[in-house]
Amino acid sequence: MTQFLDTANAWLTSRTDESVRRGALDAFVAAGLPTTTDEVWRYAPLADFDLNRYSVATPTGIAPTTPLTESIAALGSIVVRTLDGVVQAITGDIEGVTVTWSETRSADSATERYAADSLATLNWALMGGQLTIQVAEGVNAPGTIVLLHAITGSAVFPNVSIHVGRSATANVAEVWFGGADALVVPCEEYHVADNGSLTIASYQRLEQSAWYVSRTTALLQRDARVHQSVIGMGAKYDRARNDAVLQGTGAQNELWTTYLGQGDQVHDLRSHQMHEVGRTESRLLSKGAVAEQSRSIYTGLIEIERGARRTDARQTNHNLLLSPHAHADTVPNLDIRENDVTCAHASSVGPLDEFQRWYLESRGVTRHDAERLMIQGFFNEMLDVLPNNLARLLEADIAGQLEKVAVV
Amino acid sequence: MSELIITDLHCEVGEKEILRGVNLTVRSGEVHIIMGPNGCGKSTLAHALTGRPGYRVTGGSATLDGVELLTLDPAERTRAGLFLALQQPMEVPGVRPADMLVAAGAPRGNVESAIAREAQAVGLRPELLERFVNVDLSGGERKRAEVVQLGVLQPRIAIFDEIDSGLDVDALGAVARRIETATREWGLGVLAITHFRRLLQELTPDVIHVMSAGRVVAEGGPELAEQLERDGYEPFRELA
Repeated sequence: MTQFLDTANAWLTSRTDESVRRGALDAFVAAGLPTTTDEVWRYAPLADFDLNRYSVATPTGIAPTTPLTESIAALGSIVVRTLDGVVQAITGDIEGVTVTWSETRSADSATERYAADSLATLNWALMGGQLTIQVAEGVNAPGTIVLLHAITGSAVFPNVSIHVGRSATANVAEVWFGGADALVVPCEEYHVADNGSLTIASYQRLEQSAWYVSRTTALLQRDARVHQSVIGMGAKYDRARNDAVLQGTGAQNELWTTYLGQGDQVHDLRSHQMHEVGRTESRLLSKGAVAEQSRSIYTGLIEIERGARRTDARQTNHNLLLSPHAHADTVPNLDIRENDVTCAHASSVGPLDEFQRWYLESRGVTRHDAERLMIQGFFNEMLDVLPNNLARLLEADIAGQLEKVAVV
Repeated sequence: MSELIITDLHCEVGEKEILRGVNLTVRSGEVHIIMGPNGCGKSTLAHALTGRPGYRVTGGSATLDGVELLTLDPAERTRAGLFLALQQPMEVPGVRPADMLVAAGAPRGNVESAIAREAQAVGLRPELLERFVNVDLSGGERKRAEVVQLGVLQPRIAIFDEIDSGLDVDALGAVARRIETATREWGLGVLAITHFRRLLQELTPDVIHVMSAGRVVAEGGPELAEQLERDGYEPFRELA
């Protein structure tokens, strides 16, 4: 990775906050690239990954748009447009919501959280800047905050931090698009204070030559609630590692992830539901479909600390195989250090349900259309929790993608 | 005038022959009732006609207006005019009834109003049909939802597999009225499977068929139902 590091070092020396970032780059170099011997990278196609193909992006020009991004932008009360991880425009306003952009990185960031994740660590060295959304205490932010992330550069390290204050609520939708031949390594944190609530949906629609390696961490205080939807459609390698740390009693985290595999795509979902205290709840539902020669990976860990009594944690992973050449690996893991808990995990891999298909056919729906309806339905279920107008836009876009997919 | 003619129909489920030569004809506007003991093949007849996976037709014929149904795939059979209202309608998560009905051939432009009209006719709250197909519906609501689909699609011949089970008295009345109206409205031919005489009080039959051991062993009018009520199925077993 020498070639990449040369460009990274050159880029870094041009930054005014080089001294803050340098430690993260040194930590990345010391840790090295991930390997599949690490459980959280098991099954990942790392043999195909060559960091030297990329160089740190310096965004130029105006962020492109697509009909989909503009339709989603029209739903936003606040719209943030970024290009290669750098904010270009912030429009709209919600009382009590502050959106700020800083090209310099704060020194006090909790980068030790990413010590075992070298690519996330790299984000903290090479981010274009920090986008921060603050929802003030008690503010019930109406409408949706839309983040449109356009990617045109080579290696991009977007960094987003959302802070929902005490008893505040916020609804965020973000779209990732563009990214031909790019490496996109976002790192996001969601801090939700006591009794706060955050709903966030991420729609990854990058070009199929991109490598997307994302990391999100939700930190929930007492009675805080997070619902996170992660939808992966694009990229050659689509990796979403979504962690939740339940730090306050009564906190509830829901993570719904879904994906559609086409061509030789790999969708790689990792989750960590960390229950540090008792009477906390987490739900993970991961449902996706793999067609053609694509494959999916799901590994998730529920971890319950000693003393975290009456924790309720569940993981469910369903994979729909749409081709005999598609493949899905699913590995749920539990690490429970307390007895008084409810914990469950379930996973399945299989084709479409033939009886459901027959039911549709017995209404007069052709087999081809019945299969499309059922596959689309797989995604509709996952989108059902989103605001209605956003769900409909994504449903239509996914339907368009499904039209291109061969079902065998 | 439409005509469903079932001739010497044989069907196996697994290794077991369930239908052993069923003969039956249903015409537009007629109401036929099939009664019979548990396991005699009533539901198997419905599933064999509609091509349910696992039901292997080994002989015989079923034509609708001269078109052989048994060589068609399930959707083609329905598009030819045959509809099945299931005993236990299944959930199809993620699929909305309106999208299903449009894919089944209902016009996109007025499917929502047609659903609302038909829901009202059977006393079902229309918003229940904005959910995914049959998801979170009670057993009785699912039965009524089947009749809503029937009203939107308007098939020539419909098979109702125990449409009366799980329905309260009011709901059964509403469902039976809708079916009876359909026989006049567009000449729907009805083949209704039931265990209960109560349906016969709501839905006036033209013919009652008694099945036993995979065959139709007796046919008649309402007096046949009275005989069944009085004597049970035992006298008919000998006829199989």
